[in-house]
Amino acid sequence: MAPPRRSRRPRTTLLLLVLAAVTIITLDARGGLDVVTSGVRSVASDAFSPVRSGVNAIVEPIGSFLAGSVHYGAVREQNQKLQAEIDQLKSQDATTADQSESLRQLSALLNLPYLGNLQSVPAQVTNFGTSNFAATIDINVGRSDGVQLSMPVVGLGGLVGLVVQVSHHTATVRLITDGQSAVGARYGPAPGSLAVLNGVGAGRPLTADLVPSNTPLTNGEVFVTSGLQDALFPAGIPVARVVSSHTGDTASQESVSLVPEADLAHLRYVSVILWAPSQ
Amino acid sequence: MTRGELARLSVVVFLFVVVQETVMLDIRIGGVHPDIMVLLPILAGIIGGPSRGASIGFTTGLVSDLFLPTQFGLSALVGCLIGFAVGLATIALDRTAWWLAPLTALGGTALYEVTYGVLGSVLGQPQMLHVALARIVIVVSVTNAVLALPAMRLVQWGMAEASTEGMPTSDAGVGAAR
Repeated sequence: MAPPRRSRRPRTTLLLLVLAAVTIITLDARGGLDVVTSGVRSVASDAFSPVRSGVNAIVEPIGSFLAGSVHYGAVREQNQKLQAEIDQLKSQDATTADQSESLRQLSALLNLPYLGNLQSVPAQVTNFGTSNFAATIDINVGRSDGVQLSMPVVGLGGLVGLVVQVSHHTATVRLITDGQSAVGARYGPAPGSLAVLNGVGAGRPLTADLVPSNTPLTNGEVFVTSGLQDALFPAGIPVARVVSSHTGDTASQESVSLVPEADLAHLRYVSVILWAPSQ
Repeated sequence: MTRGELARLSVVVFLFVVVQETVMLDIRIGGVHPDIMVLLPILAGIIGGPSRGASIGFTTGLVSDLFLPTQFGLSALVGCLIGFAVGLATIALDRTAWWLAPLTALGGTALYEVTYGVLGSVLGQPQMLHVALARIVIVVSVTNAVLALPAMRLVQWGMAEASTEGMPTSDAGVGAAR
């Protein structure tokens, strides 16, 4: 009797699929697939956008209804009609407060002092990151609004990030806290010394490179974009504020922690600066 | 794979994408959102065995990559590895046992997220290991374990028949059958 054997097909299939995936990743990383992948992602985003809006329009009222039901159930013995009126008034109050806050944020975005003559497009944040492994946001403006890859994005307070994907009506912004983000910055008295601010993950402070040891930094000192030639951001945008700095005994650089000037955890509206690095 | 099965699987994948991109992205537990796309290669591995688990994991991974800001192809790579591993690990188990899907979803998702972070880091994005990996693993694994049973029904409908591929065979047995 022949010994039992296992089919080799699954292993061959796996090998071929792994090779295909590694090839795709390598080509994408080297830029060989940039046109294809960004094009396909853009088409997918455009095609999916109406589906997302439609489903959200259905799901959000259901969620509101369920939340309202829980609240309503707790006071069922009370006068139902009166309670419904109170709920309605509360809802109106909340809506008005929400709209006032939106108006305040939008008005402030239209008058950001550091933008100068730079043109910008206001945008609403639609998603806080589609991946748990990257600090990104999705916004509701895209190519049709003049947005292009690598355009800077600002919010109330300062720099938010950089456009890394763009479709017809939407764009994805990599936040300055993302591990892949690096921002050229200036600090200290004019003309200022140069540093690079690196992200290390959402919700974590930024770190600064190129700050010499024993540099006198004070907590609260603001680093702004350097605007050097070929820089990714125009000059003078506030980026982050120092929260701690110290020098190790043998270190050649100051160890600096900074928090972003913009409140990245509670973004609702941002502005995309219509500015390209070559300008 | 027949045309009918392909069509049903496409519908299932589309539904998963819709739920992920609309409902799941709005749920944040400790800053982490659930990721039901990870369930597809795991459930495909349980139902279809290693080969189909790997193929479906690769394909659904590519679909996921369309909506993610990370490297294109990374989800496909991890998806095919996890689909294969789950298929292989569950070959000898009773696939009708109710606990198989939640338990495999729990372990498979944890393995998926760790592999995703490590491979992403190795393949050029070192920051992927600087995220709160433990929190991601816990949140995504537990939510996937909870959602595994209804998701299993859906994927079973999409994949017409369970596969015995990869299971031990015997020449003598084949001869006897003839």
